[in-house]
Amino acid sequence: MAELLKVEHLKKYFATPAGQLHAVDDVSFVINKGETLGVVGESGCGKSTLGRVVLKLLDLTDGRIVFEDRDITSISEKDSIALRKEMQIIFQDPYSSLNPRLCVSELIGDPLIVYKMYNKDGRQKRVYELMDLVGLARRFAFSYPHELDGGRRQRIGVARALALSPKFIVCDEPVSALDVSIQAQILNLLQDLQAQQNLTYIFVTHDLSVVKHISTDILVMYLGVMAEKCESKELFRKPYHPYTKGLLSAIPVPNIDHVKRPVELLGELTSPIEPKDECRFLARCKYATDVCRQGAPTYQEVEPNHFVTCHNVREINNL
Amino acid sequence: MLLMLMTKQGQEKLARDMAEIAKKKSQWGDVWKRLFRNKRGVLGMGIVVLLLIFVLGANFFTNYDYAVQDVTNRYGMPGREHLMGTDNYGRDIFTRLLYGGRISLMVSMMSVIISGCIGIALGSIAGYFGGRIDLVITRLLDILMAIPALLMAIAISSALGSGPVNTALAISVSGIPHSMRIMRSTVLSIKSNDFVEAARATGSKHMRIIFRHILPNTVAPLIVNSTLQIGGNIMAISGLSFIGLGVQPPTPEWGSILAAGRIFIRDFWPIIVFPAMCIMLTVFGFNMFGDGLRDALDPRLKD
Amino acid sequence: MSLLEIKGLTIHYETRESVISAVNGLDLSIDESKTLGLVGETGAGKTTTALGVMRLVPDPPGKILGGEILFEGKDLLKATDNEIRKIRGNDISMIFQDPMTALNPIIRIGDQIAEVIQLHGNCSKTEAMVRSLKMLETVGIQPERSIEYPHQFSGGMKQRVVIAMALACSPKLLIADEPTTALDVTIQAQVLELMNELKQQNKTSMLLITHDLGIVAETCDEVAIMYAGEIVEYGSLAQIFRNALHPYTIGLFGSIPSLDKDVDRLNPIQGLMPDPADLPEGCKFHERCNFIDEKCETGELETVEVEPGHFVRCLRVAKGEI
Repeated sequence: MAELLKVEHLKKYFATPAGQLHAVDDVSFVINKGETLGVVGESGCGKSTLGRVVLKLLDLTDGRIVFEDRDITSISEKDSIALRKEMQIIFQDPYSSLNPRLCVSELIGDPLIVYKMYNKDGRQKRVYELMDLVGLARRFAFSYPHELDGGRRQRIGVARALALSPKFIVCDEPVSALDVSIQAQILNLLQDLQAQQNLTYIFVTHDLSVVKHISTDILVMYLGVMAEKCESKELFRKPYHPYTKGLLSAIPVPNIDHVKRPVELLGELTSPIEPKDECRFLARCKYATDVCRQGAPTYQEVEPNHFVTCHNVREINNL
Repeated sequence: MLLMLMTKQGQEKLARDMAEIAKKKSQWGDVWKRLFRNKRGVLGMGIVVLLLIFVLGANFFTNYDYAVQDVTNRYGMPGREHLMGTDNYGRDIFTRLLYGGRISLMVSMMSVIISGCIGIALGSIAGYFGGRIDLVITRLLDILMAIPALLMAIAISSALGSGPVNTALAISVSGIPHSMRIMRSTVLSIKSNDFVEAARATGSKHMRIIFRHILPNTVAPLIVNSTLQIGGNIMAISGLSFIGLGVQPPTPEWGSILAAGRIFIRDFWPIIVFPAMCIMLTVFGFNMFGDGLRDALDPRLKD
Repeated sequence: MSLLEIKGLTIHYETRESVISAVNGLDLSIDESKTLGLVGETGAGKTTTALGVMRLVPDPPGKILGGEILFEGKDLLKATDNEIRKIRGNDISMIFQDPMTALNPIIRIGDQIAEVIQLHGNCSKTEAMVRSLKMLETVGIQPERSIEYPHQFSGGMKQRVVIAMALACSPKLLIADEPTTALDVTIQAQVLELMNELKQQNKTSMLLITHDLGIVAETCDEVAIMYAGEIVEYGSLAQIFRNALHPYTIGLFGSIPSLDKDVDRLNPIQGLMPDPADLPEGCKFHERCNFIDEKCETGELETVEVEPGHFVRCLRVAKGEI
């Protein structure tokens, strides 16, 4: 299958008074056309930053981004604006992501004005098309965001992202702020759109059940580094990294026949500022050995297309 | 659609939809409604509106000229002929206050507009771009802020000379840091919203983001700030005129009327009490109105 | 006898423009040392119910219009302000969703807990401090940290402190309003485990408000599903999870992506929650329901007991049609 986006050794550091904050540290992946890469992790693991760096909304510190066989790592401001037509983003918060002073039709039509597409009538027609596409009744065209509920607002966000017919969309926790029944509606919508328009997604979320449902591949992040990456179903059958194991055991399962595993992950996230040269997960890992203290583990392919960053992955999993 | 119209359910649904469209009102409509519910806001607005009517329509409310002296009729007590009496030259005090109000209001509004425009421009640049630009602008205005406002106004107007325009300029300079700070913090808080990032993600350039997405959202605090500043500026102008730096006699201005009358304070009260009351009421009215506007425009207080 | 029994509780928020019917004739009961999960979406009236039990509904605009809240047989709605203040924190305490705002930022952690103990425990300051340190230890925080301020704690740690405060006076009933929603999954698992342990040790009853059916499955004995201010289905954990009958409950289960099974497409509930200021007539759920007939739009609803302890508020289930 055709490769759409390739990211190599991507790094994003932020300068803080206490030192360099390693938000994203050496992340590499490839996404094929029409597929979805799920990025999971807890708050502060760098997953949202990753999405924004890939879209070039944030400058990267180091690494390479290749989009449709074109190196976009250091393109000019003008080229990057042209690129925005191909890459879009859907935000988590359906409240703060919509300008309260614009009505629905202006919100969805805004990107069209920026790129001077269509005349006024054509634009309105396109807005209605988009509203139909995302299941937003046309009668809301002149409503303001504060008059609508979270689900409808999120549909506006989806319509706006689709306005320029992009090939690639970063979904940054698009359903986390929504109720379950609405969440399911939006997930179905995103899946339908992907099938119709052959869209490619990066789906950033903290919710493992959502990510399993929608993704082709899953990347688990911990404190800016990749912990594990493999095919979606495989991750749930064979989690190899101790962090993935802990994460899976922590999810409450809505099934009373499910046998509850004891809590595996103790303690909390350590600081991402100037991390030492050791395994980042060390402080919370119950399998930690001396090797883990002596250097950061490398990202290795333990099984075909199953990558893990852990020194002791073979010992832990009897591979 | 046709199918919908055939069933009773469909018709009802359509009727509901139409009602919903009709119910939809503009955001400013809500603001008005909330403003009218606020008693003090309405009181303030009433005072301001009355004041504007009187001052702008001065010719309709009085038959006297503010400058013509009538030596036979000095120190007239308030009565049917002269509503507020006459001053030491026999001029009608009511008339002088009406025309004086024009100057006071005009000059204070002018200075609010001047300081507002400069403040908005500097504030939005500092807030939006941040970094070094922000640091430079903020520090420079901090220096300006360190000079007492009235002293600054006195210094500027003695350099520029008196007259309405120069007075407006003198007062507006000390208002700039204040408007700039309000603007800067408003822009900072709006900038943190995802919709600004969304605008960047759809390829909008900086100017477009500022003008379409940020400035319209800062209107509310700006209106409130300007209204409150008008009241303060009227005080400042009166102060300047009082010490002889603002508007020169015989042009009436509330502060200069007050200053001219201050030597008669023991013998003839109307010459002091009425202009003082004018200043007080106006400042009170603008402040109440500003507070009311702030409450009406604050979305957190929405019910 | 049940510890808490709510009968026909009705709470409205009255504003100038509209009357929001937050809770409409709600019946509930919690037995001693049992946990009841109150499940529903945003705007279903879960939090208002909890505030009603604590008599903390903000008035205005909130009005408790009717019903009874019997706590150990005593009607809380008729209690005087003094009586209710003694009950709050002592017999019933509450954990809020956001641990960040539940603590006073300028008071040391240890002092905050001690204050609660002193207020209700009739003990000296030193005794309260000693008990406060013990409480911290129980929730897994080193007592040495008691001299620190809230901002020095992470979100999960703060929620532990909040739990320590809530349990400091060994209340008979703990109301937890989405206690782990603001936390990460791994931290959530730790906090839930802690709450379960403490609850069993102290034989505390709990009203757990949540939207997460996974949390319910792991912590509750009984489940009440709430929709538009009413309990639409109520039963034991097994009854709800194995034999859900109300179309809304079934819809909720269909909406969650499963970790065990591979589902290609979710089955969401269509439409949106009705506006609580303008609730539909008849069954409040009929606009979103896949099984409606004409009676659902107008008919009077009653809650029926379909099997011992399993109540459903649906006309068609009552008639045995679903």
